[in-house]
Amino acid sequence: MSEYETYMEEKNRIDSYFDKGYQVISIFENLSGTFVDFVTGEGASEREVVQLQLITAEARKYIATKLLFVS
Amino acid sequence: MADLRINLAGIKSPNPFWLASAPPTNSGYQVQRAFEAGWGGAVWKTLGDPIINTTSRFAAASFNGKKVAGFNNIELITDRPLEVNLKEIYETKKRFPDHAIIASIMVEPKQEKWHEIVKRVEDVGVDGFELNFGCPHGMAERGMGAASGQVPELVEKQTYWAKEVAKTPVIVKLTPNITDITVTAEAAVRGGADAVSMINTINSLMGVDLDSWNTVPNVAGKGAHGGYCGPAVKPIALNMVGECARNPLINVPISGIGGISNWKDAAEFILMGSTGVQVCTAAMHHGFSIVEDMIDGLNNYLDEKGIVSVMDLVGKSVPKYSNWGDLDLNHKVVARINNDTCINCNKCHISCEDTSHQCIEMLVDANGKSYLKVREEDCVGCNLCSIVCPVDGAIDMVEIKQALPSMTWNQRQSRIASFMTEKVAK
Repeated sequence: MSEYETYMEEKNRIDSYFDKGYQVISIFENLSGTFVDFVTGEGASEREVVQLQLITAEARKYIATKLLFVS
Repeated sequence: MADLRINLAGIKSPNPFWLASAPPTNSGYQVQRAFEAGWGGAVWKTLGDPIINTTSRFAAASFNGKKVAGFNNIELITDRPLEVNLKEIYETKKRFPDHAIIASIMVEPKQEKWHEIVKRVEDVGVDGFELNFGCPHGMAERGMGAASGQVPELVEKQTYWAKEVAKTPVIVKLTPNITDITVTAEAAVRGGADAVSMINTINSLMGVDLDSWNTVPNVAGKGAHGGYCGPAVKPIALNMVGECARNPLINVPISGIGGISNWKDAAEFILMGSTGVQVCTAAMHHGFSIVEDMIDGLNNYLDEKGIVSVMDLVGKSVPKYSNWGDLDLNHKVVARINNDTCINCNKCHISCEDTSHQCIEMLVDANGKSYLKVREEDCVGCNLCSIVCPVDGAIDMVEIKQALPSMTWNQRQSRIASFMTEKVAK
């Protein structure tokens, strides 16, 4: 898979979680990339925490841009 | 016709082109011929205790058939007594009162030594001084030159000593053989420097002879490191000038030195904050007459830009010189190949495929004709293909308008900091 295709997959996952009302509760970065923990939004019947690993540079930019200018 | 006169910390010059302190400014004969050719000023070859030079003192790097891409020297300061130099400085100034003569000086780091040489040299009518804290070979081993220039406290102290007695402006010449030249530039300003000049030459060894195993240059089979200059060092010098120009604590004029070969180079240094420039290698390669093209070229450029005085050009690019962390990560350019101009040499494909992001495809059209195409979604806009392409205009770097707003690295890190944890991956 090309790096662009990998990025688009990661971007779509990020957008999907935000669209479903998930919020970012934590981020950490290490040798393996950026790990983003999403939690279900207020009003969700069940609290669910999911972790997304972002390995492409474009996705690691994208998540920060979303947090900076959207939330 | 633009006004090319400059005033660098009170030193007036008919144009910004000075000869740097080096072999071309060794004697009155040479400096006078340089002034006749049109140079605005000259920094006299460094005065101090006369040294003894070796033979075989220069070497050069040629590249792809172009001679003197870089130049190396193991020559030291003046080998003539002070009185001889002072007499020639006096005579030169008398013949050319409107051209700037700056005396480069270097003595041991002792207050009385600096006082003595400043007073004696100033008496013959120089327009200013340049303190040599940069010679990387020969003098550094004696505690002078770069040995002083690498220690901020010594730069500050010696500048202060010179300023205690100098009545004319004092320029401090800085060595690039240092981690951060702004530290020593700040020290020079604290010491009272009226201006700073940079860069001096870079520690270097030109090469090794593959047959004799001698270094190049060598003296009877032995070599020593020398100072590198010429076109190859221009990017290093230009950066150092720019870093000093954008530093608010270095609030004095800059005389830019380093690989300046033509009017365009000079204009770039002026845009990055130099009030005037100094030239050495290009004059040694081509002679003093190169200043004619420099003057004409700069004049025409300023006229085209509608700029009345060269002093109005100083520092115009400095606000555009930033820290990496403040660059827009969401700015995007991609390469586009103009197939009408492309000669299908495939150099772009080879470079991209082997050493960049593998996004240039070799394709065949419906007529069986080969062509190259960039896969733009995978292109990171690194510029490599346009750099290696041998045909001007065959590859353009094109900005792609982004839906995302600008975001710098510093903004990114600041925003995600509030979410950062010490957790490990699941």
